[in-house]
Amino acid sequence: MRARFPLVGLAWLALVPVFAQSPVPANPPLAKDPGPFLPASDFPEDKVPKLAAGPAPHLPDGRPDFGGNGAWYPGFNGNLAETKWKGVKSADKHVDVPFLPWTLKTYNQRVENLSKDDPEARCLPVGVPRFMFDPYPFQMIQTRNQVVFVFEGDNYLWRIVTIDPKGTHPTNLKPTWLGDAVGHYEGDTLVVDVTGFNGLAWLDQAGHATSDKLHLTERYTRTDSLTLKYEVTIDDPEAYSQPWTASNTIHWRPGMELMESICQEDEKSSIHMIGNTKK
Amino acid sequence: MKYCCLFAVLVVLPAQGQIPRLADGKPDLSGGGVWLPRHVADLAPTSGVPFQPWAKLKFQENNAEQRSEMDLRCLPPGVPRIMLQARPFEIVQTPNRILFVYEGGAHVWRQVWMDGRAHPKDPNPNWLGHSIGRWEGDTLVVDSTGFNDQTWLDDAGHPHTERLHVIEKYTRVDPLTMKYEVTIDDPGAYTQSWTSGSSLSFRPGEKLEEDICLDKLSK
Repeated sequence: MRARFPLVGLAWLALVPVFAQSPVPANPPLAKDPGPFLPASDFPEDKVPKLAAGPAPHLPDGRPDFGGNGAWYPGFNGNLAETKWKGVKSADKHVDVPFLPWTLKTYNQRVENLSKDDPEARCLPVGVPRFMFDPYPFQMIQTRNQVVFVFEGDNYLWRIVTIDPKGTHPTNLKPTWLGDAVGHYEGDTLVVDVTGFNGLAWLDQAGHATSDKLHLTERYTRTDSLTLKYEVTIDDPEAYSQPWTASNTIHWRPGMELMESICQEDEKSSIHMIGNTKK
Repeated sequence: MKYCCLFAVLVVLPAQGQIPRLADGKPDLSGGGVWLPRHVADLAPTSGVPFQPWAKLKFQENNAEQRSEMDLRCLPPGVPRIMLQARPFEIVQTPNRILFVYEGGAHVWRQVWMDGRAHPKDPNPNWLGHSIGRWEGDTLVVDSTGFNDQTWLDDAGHPHTERLHVIEKYTRVDPLTMKYEVTIDDPGAYTQSWTSGSSLSFRPGEKLEEDICLDKLSK
């Protein structure tokens, strides 16, 4: 078994010159940030309250405690792969996204037409991992064998992560917006493995696309009482040439309670979303 | 092996009729499965309901429509209707709050505050109301106000106003059964309060599925 690895390695080396010589069409450049969509005074950058953080709390049995009297607020982060988007802070780090040609084309179209076909604007579920980058507060309720996420936004959405250290998904999953989520604790980190997506949700408002082969590994770590580090690895061989990782720092808002928010109650945005009419 | 199984039988059998309890002795309504309500299309008790005249006309109009316009727009069914549709839900109990997480309706959840707070004085009317709860013995009593007037109380189309005040009583009478009693107090629509009920069955080991109403609209 071990002897095979050098052979595989050699075969790979032999292929490299072939790739180098093939006429690979140059990728089109990434579409540019459309810039602030509101004057800064109307949409100020999320101001994180200045509070003194304490140590990250733990449950009596030693698991990290992601709850308490308050809620998590991710802020608006319009692009998973950029540190600034539409004039405000976005994800924690820039990523050179390993697009496949169709996802690059789709991304560029969506950015250039100002995300006019965004499913979230039609009140459809925001999806994973986007709800960790969207300006809606949420809470995590931990029971013995579940982590229940409840969200104010979208449609007052919920999501249940089954805690199962064996990490098995059911076979024959029905494709869904939120996927099937199985999690376990690794020290102070909640690790969630998600598959079974329908491929319709956008990864962010900018418009990073996925296929229904999307497989996510999410890592939630409360680094102090006020801070949740979120890291997600996007593994989708039909959309990206290799897995890539995006991250966001989510802040705790002490005392915040979630309000009912029902998107389709008075949804009047989508008819006005006509894209970029400027040529 | 034989002794172990004999022991298990002895332990399990007497426990059949006993409901699970939390460490503090309160009934455990959550965990290890989902609750499935019985479908109750018409909440009215056999004795009828004490309609205000306008509410009776509105009921007849709604009833003739068969399906609420709010359903067609995938809006939340409201309370108590969300407990009368045969769609499963989970109950999640925490020390200061009980959550109801629904598969049906609009993939929404609902929170019942157990921390002794009162209803807000001037609530923003919404679809699922503002709910506070307390234990009366083994019965969870949920008191809700702050509703908008857009929902129906049941599939049949019993209307209500923003003055709606709902009192729900949940009693887990055995491991697999919850008795559900609901009192409708809405002086804007009914001349006096009225009470009806239903039952919910527990489905051990089952999980909620994702069902997005708007998916069906867009197809």
